Amino acid sequence: MAAKDNPDYFDLAGQVLDHMIVDSEDMPCGKVDDIEIEGDLGGPLRVKALHVGPGAWMPRLPALLALIAGKFFRRSTVAVAWEQVEEITPTIKLRSTAAELGLGKADRKAARFMRKVLRS
Amino acid sequence: MHNLLELFLGILSAMGGFVDIGELVFTLNAGAKFGYSLLWIMLFGTVGVIVYGEMAGRIAAVTHLGIFDIVRDRIGFAAGLATLVAANLVNVMTCASEIGGIAIILKLFLGWPYRFLIFLVLFFLLAAVWFLPFKWIERTFGLLGLFMVIFIFSAVALQPDWSRVAAGLAPNVPEVREQSDYFLYAYFAVALFSAIMLPYEIYFYNAGGVEDRWKPTDITVNRFTSGLGFALGSLLAASLIGVGAEYLRPHGIADALLPGAAALGPMELYGKVGLAAALAGMFFAFSGAAIETALSAAYSFAQFWGWPWGKFRGPKNAARFYFAWIVVFSLAALLTLTGIDPVELVEYSIVFSIVILPLTYLPVVAVARNKAIMGKFANGRLANVLGWFYLIVSTLAALAAVPLLIVTHGGKG
Repeated sequence: MAAKDNPDYFDLAGQVLDHMIVDSEDMPCGKVDDIEIEGDLGGPLRVKALHVGPGAWMPRLPALLALIAGKFFRRSTVAVAWEQVEEITPTIKLRSTAAELGLGKADRKAARFMRKVLRS
Repeated sequence: MHNLLELFLGILSAMGGFVDIGELVFTLNAGAKFGYSLLWIMLFGTVGVIVYGEMAGRIAAVTHLGIFDIVRDRIGFAAGLATLVAANLVNVMTCASEIGGIAIILKLFLGWPYRFLIFLVLFFLLAAVWFLPFKWIERTFGLLGLFMVIFIFSAVALQPDWSRVAAGLAPNVPEVREQSDYFLYAYFAVALFSAIMLPYEIYFYNAGGVEDRWKPTDITVNRFTSGLGFALGSLLAASLIGVGAEYLRPHGIADALLPGAAALGPMELYGKVGLAAALAGMFFAFSGAAIETALSAAYSFAQFWGWPWGKFRGPKNAARFYFAWIVVFSLAALLTLTGIDPVELVEYSIVFSIVILPLTYLPVVAVARNKAIMGKFANGRLANVLGWFYLIVSTLAALAAVPLLIVTHGGKG
């Protein structure tokens, strides 16, 4: 039986990496910038977490660009436990809100600033 | 009845929103320099933009994904990031030239200083995008852009030789005076193809489908809007070739650079009404295009990085998206304030657009044909064949674009 015929089959690189993450309230809160896999050589592997943030995408850039990007962004990363993933469609749906998982900080900061501007 | 009216308005909005300053400059100049002999490129490019527009709208209806969601997913992070940067440099350049074009038109109407008018245009565009809901933006600028139909009336009233028009619809190489004119013809062919298939139109059309909450049941609306709307829009652009060929060429205006030159034909034919309609049409068409480029830039950033986006979310729930389009408008206005010629700027932006075209269109066709993602709404055989064919053609055009720009000294021969 081909791997694709297995009903539980999914392609981590094709269906998870670089896909949009939405929280339990359907709010976009980043992209899957990297996938953490654990296991020993010769043994089964399992997905441990999805990584989101500059610290996860910077190493994927060519060296010179990564160096330049490092000057502009902090290498922060949020690890989202694989158990948080509720559904994989074209987007990755999580079981919790972005705030509970520490995702979407920049969005909340920008929203606070926007509220201040709108009030003044 | 309501759905039919929506469809009708959607088609008209797509038609009125089709032409921008780049198309205006290249079509008028193509007509003035080569008569009707580049009409076939318009026809060829129109089929291409319909094919890709339909796919982009269908992806929005079925998956609710934006173009840069799939760019990053399909061509990888590093190549996707390069495409994002290049696409947005082009977006800022195009937005700047549209702002400059609007300021020139207002200067013709009001006679106020150009730089002051750039500020005025900036505030007008910011206010329009901030206060108007997405559908109103589409409809207002799309429908008012229909003043441009004065160019269709003018092209017909100028009594073209219809046999030459028909001959221009088939691929041809015109008789030229010098060998170097062949390069100029090739440059205009590539630039016209790029002007019709501009990537931002596809980004915006796809994002519009998400903004309007399209569902798979809207696929028929998408087919009509992209098919008929883009075809009629292209007819409008083709009429500018006619005005270039029948009015500018005989009058020896071979470099119809300023938007004002475009209004000369309608003015001579219809007097003040013709002039006002031409200028009003260009004003709304360029304003719509400026908004489309700024919003496209914001959509692409948000989609690539996974920010909440869309006018429907409002500024508090999509703050970074809102900041992004405000920044793009401001950068574009600053670029125009340097005194750079908007027409020269748009020529470069159009040529650079074609360079990123294959990187934008490859992920679109890859997703639209994928049954695992699109299910029963995946491409049929015809869409696949046309999609790959236009991808190959746009890649060849991308390879030729920059050498032709250099050889022809930016289209000056």
